[in-house]
Amino acid sequence: MSSLNTRSDRLWRSLEEAAAEPGFLASVAQEFPQLAASLGKPVDRRQVLKLMGAVLIMNGLQACGSKFGGELIPAVKIPPNIIPAMPNFYASAHVLDGYASGIVVKHNMGRPIKVDGNPNHPASLGAADVFAQAQLLDFYDPDRAAGLSRQGIPSDRASLEKALEAQRSALSGSGGTGLRLLTGTVTSPTLAGRIDAVLERYPEARWVSWDPISRSGVRQGAALAYGRPLETRLRLERADVLVAIDGDLFDTDPGRSRHARDFSSRRNPSRTAEMSRVYAIESTPTLLGSVADHRFIAGPAEIIGITAAMADLILGSSAADSGAAQGRAMAGVPPWLGPMVADMKAARGRVFMHIGASQPPRIHALAHAINEALGARGETFELIEPVAHMSGRQQELRELIADMQGHRVESLLILDSNPVYAAPADWGYAEALRQVPFSLALSRRADETGRSATWFVPRAHDWEAWSDARAYDGTAGVLQPQSLPLYDGMSELELLGRYIESAPADSEAAVRATWQARMTGDFEIRWREALAAGVIPGSASPTSHAALRAAPARTSPELPGGGADALSVLFRADPSLWDGRFANNPWLQELPRPLTKLVWDNPLLISPALAHELELHNGDVARLSIGQASVLAPVWILPGQARHCITALLGSGRRFAGSIGDGQGVDYTPLLALPGTPKLTKTSGHVDLASTVHHNLLLETPPEILRHGTLAEYRANPRFAADSDHEPHLYRTVPPGPAVWAMSVDLNACIGCNACVIACQAENNISVVGKSEVLREREMHWLRIDRYFEGSATAPQSFLQPVLCMHCEEAPCENVCPVGATVHDAEGLNVMVYNRCVGTRFCSNNCPYKVRRFNFFAYGREQYRPAESWNPDVTVRARGVMEKCSYCLQRIAEARIAADRDSLPVGEVKTACQVACPTQAFTFGNLADPSSAVSQRKQSPLDYAMLEKQNTRPRTTYEALVRNPNPAIAADLPPPAPGRAPA
Amino acid sequence: MAAIFGPAANLASKVFLLLAAAALPGGMLLWWRWPKTDYARNRREAVAQPVPFSHQHHVAGLGIDCRFCHASVEVSSNAGLPPTYTCMTCHSQIWTKAALLAPVRESLITGIPIVWRRVTDLPDYVYFNHSIHIAKGVGCESCHGEVATMALTYKAKALTMKFCLDCHRNPGPRLRPKSAIFDTKWHRTADTPSPATLLGIYHVPDRNLTDCSLCHR
Repeated sequence: MSSLNTRSDRLWRSLEEAAAEPGFLASVAQEFPQLAASLGKPVDRRQVLKLMGAVLIMNGLQACGSKFGGELIPAVKIPPNIIPAMPNFYASAHVLDGYASGIVVKHNMGRPIKVDGNPNHPASLGAADVFAQAQLLDFYDPDRAAGLSRQGIPSDRASLEKALEAQRSALSGSGGTGLRLLTGTVTSPTLAGRIDAVLERYPEARWVSWDPISRSGVRQGAALAYGRPLETRLRLERADVLVAIDGDLFDTDPGRSRHARDFSSRRNPSRTAEMSRVYAIESTPTLLGSVADHRFIAGPAEIIGITAAMADLILGSSAADSGAAQGRAMAGVPPWLGPMVADMKAARGRVFMHIGASQPPRIHALAHAINEALGARGETFELIEPVAHMSGRQQELRELIADMQGHRVESLLILDSNPVYAAPADWGYAEALRQVPFSLALSRRADETGRSATWFVPRAHDWEAWSDARAYDGTAGVLQPQSLPLYDGMSELELLGRYIESAPADSEAAVRATWQARMTGDFEIRWREALAAGVIPGSASPTSHAALRAAPARTSPELPGGGADALSVLFRADPSLWDGRFANNPWLQELPRPLTKLVWDNPLLISPALAHELELHNGDVARLSIGQASVLAPVWILPGQARHCITALLGSGRRFAGSIGDGQGVDYTPLLALPGTPKLTKTSGHVDLASTVHHNLLLETPPEILRHGTLAEYRANPRFAADSDHEPHLYRTVPPGPAVWAMSVDLNACIGCNACVIACQAENNISVVGKSEVLREREMHWLRIDRYFEGSATAPQSFLQPVLCMHCEEAPCENVCPVGATVHDAEGLNVMVYNRCVGTRFCSNNCPYKVRRFNFFAYGREQYRPAESWNPDVTVRARGVMEKCSYCLQRIAEARIAADRDSLPVGEVKTACQVACPTQAFTFGNLADPSSAVSQRKQSPLDYAMLEKQNTRPRTTYEALVRNPNPAIAADLPPPAPGRAPA
Repeated sequence: MAAIFGPAANLASKVFLLLAAAALPGGMLLWWRWPKTDYARNRREAVAQPVPFSHQHHVAGLGIDCRFCHASVEVSSNAGLPPTYTCMTCHSQIWTKAALLAPVRESLITGIPIVWRRVTDLPDYVYFNHSIHIAKGVGCESCHGEVATMALTYKAKALTMKFCLDCHRNPGPRLRPKSAIFDTKWHRTADTPSPATLLGIYHVPDRNLTDCSLCHR
């Protein structure tokens, strides 16, 4: 990096771009940077002739093939409601760390092909996050374990049953002495019932509920404040002021999709009367921080001081003790704190303060006290009875490990948990497991834990067994099987049942029995209604009226040790891989992480200042050590990261994830939960990190790409972002067809969660290409989310912009195609005809938005998934063919045919990205119908066309971003002093 | 010195020159005509099937409607192939011992489907929808030929892109009254409503039926 002095009137994607390094500018100015390597090594004439000859012959060979077109296999007996080539939809739920989000699975001829959100479900409202959507590939994963094994040797069910029988008789005799259950968070009423039944049957048994991405801080904080681990149900649509400290509302919170929807309802000033204001105070950028009106950077220690100072200002100085005073001294009471607190106080009853789950319990307890003091309870949030199941016989993981080490554990049952990989290595779980005479791991794959336990039993996928689960607000839903089992798996319910009796009720009967006891009225009818709707009405957790316990909550937190310049490491869930359980999912591995745009890797995220201090560049390998333990990892410089804070994303570096995930990235678990100050030292190593941040770079001036302003500017002139040119157009602008398709994207709504990217990938059969191809800029995503920065490198503002094919009315790509493979249709669509394409790539060259993707290889054929998992309505593209967003042409065709069949006007069409979006940022529809949603959105004063001066007349337009900064703070927000930024 | 070439060489050289002159146009003719031959297009060539099913017998002889077996043709893109159960509705009563029907009975007993071989196939990048064609008055025969006369099923029409476009450019004359859609022997007569009338009856939409996006996606 030569300089970090960036001009504030520029948008930039990376520090290289911000610093305008000549080498960087030259590389991005090339139309096809991916060809640079090949062009650097010229091939001689003979070689070219040889290759051309080979191409000619191979193209001829390609024409050979079977004369007849394959086989047709009708069913022996067609199941009811299945019509060939017509989809079926079944509700279920996706469960992550216990909490459910409703999904609807689309089936083709009985095979799941797509996951959407369930509009009836309170945690989803129709949106589905990346994990829920990508579980399609997990379901079809060829690496899923096919059979059970004992000490690594394949075994069978009969031997397992014999072993379990021996367990039952041994444990019955001893009252369950030495029996331990290890699970993640459990919200499933049926599973909770089975766990309780095991604990009742074996009075000496203990249950451990442990998640690598822990929410214990939240629970303990609520217990400090209210005496019980109550949970919160947010009403963000009512919050005028939202303060998030280390906020994870959109990242890992169990209600993230719902929070995003409620949040976005108050963000577009052309649709909401009162725009909300969001403050984010954080050490490492989060999704909420990147869309906040004010984002303040504070190190982990400063955050504690800031919270204490806020408590002082809001709760009165009585709350202050020596810790808080120390905190204030350390944080130096930042200048923005006063105005922010004044804003919070002014919005009494319409304010909410959120604390990230990784913060210590006392901070959570303080926030509860602050929220109560500001009258937020009952207005912007409610406390509800705990959703997660608890028992008096619980144990912490560390206590379990101590018992295991002390030979006090005879029989350990590990249900869908992978502590051998994910638990802090320092705790010594893996060694302790060897001391246990009988251990049984029920895992999705033969993973690290599965290989270390005595018995490994493959877990039935959620789509292969019956279960139930509760959402963040307690609403229960039934998980119904979506398919017959692909492999011989067992569910948690079945296995736990076998610990009690030899032939327990099967999981369907168990789930039915749970709800038969709780439903009123005709059970069969209620049950079928619940299955169809995906939710059980009236099952949400009741509101709690517990009163705040004054004394403990007001105790200020202790400050962590170390000076102001001491390094700190944050261990966070990977935005795509979570705790590593999705490591074998190629969609998620290749999903550009929201803020770094990295794929297939998890380098340490460091601040520009720290990088300058240690002379580190992107991809340089550094050694991160805490005490004796150390890890070698590449680094990535992330603007907006707290100066002395390093972020390590968990979930990579798996040893036994499967053929996709094995060895990808770095495993940071050896450093987890270690005391002491971390040290980062540079090594001589360097690795290439695949990040799409520079791919498809647009080098125009900022207002041409992303327009934004403040609420004050909007109030002064609502059309501040509108296009300047409204002259009548000489050429055709209105397509002749009966419908005119168009899209509007609301930049105020986008939170960068990537749900649209995965939805597009699943819907449109988009291939994954692998890290080496991404390094050559050959990723295939039709929809990308561009992330821009503005301002200083240390504390920039960030912006997000989904970019997909604009379907230009005057499309530059169409003019240059020599074979007419990309043409305009009568409904205004810019269509791509794969069978005409000869792969000149002229169109991509001429596309100002850089949204076209080329199949350099036959990626489609090489995907690691069975053929029946593809969307049958979309062509799987061949080698040498250009492709791009089609506005989900297959969905348009379906609506068109359905309408024409009944001679009606074409109905509503929703694109895949639109359906998946938790914030409804996308609106698609028929512009010829003035009452359609898209027609109305295009009337918004904020509507503008990207690269309007190119005169491409795009059908996709954007609503400009409006931020609502606090005038009292905005005035004194100069970039940090130059002394802090390395020169 | 004897002549090197005998008198016969005159003839040989003439024949050679003639052949050489014919080779170029002949080769071009072959290049042009070959892909259009029935052989190259798999037309009129019965495909060997596990059961030699006769449409002639079932349709013309017994008068079974197309939709009895191809049940989803009016609602789905896919016309559907009969499940074993459909065959067995009758064949559990008649021809119960026929050797030809052994694969059908076996399928019923074992639950393993009968694997038929495809007769009409379109490339994977073409998305044909049966239901809309039936709804708009295109008969089965227009694409599948006179299936009722086929003892063994074969592909009757070229089903090339030109074949599709010929109709999409001017659909009127190819439409038929609703009563004749499933009649593979129907022919236009003097009583048939005019193409314009049929287009009106079926509300054939006022859209460009030759848009690429109609079939390719």
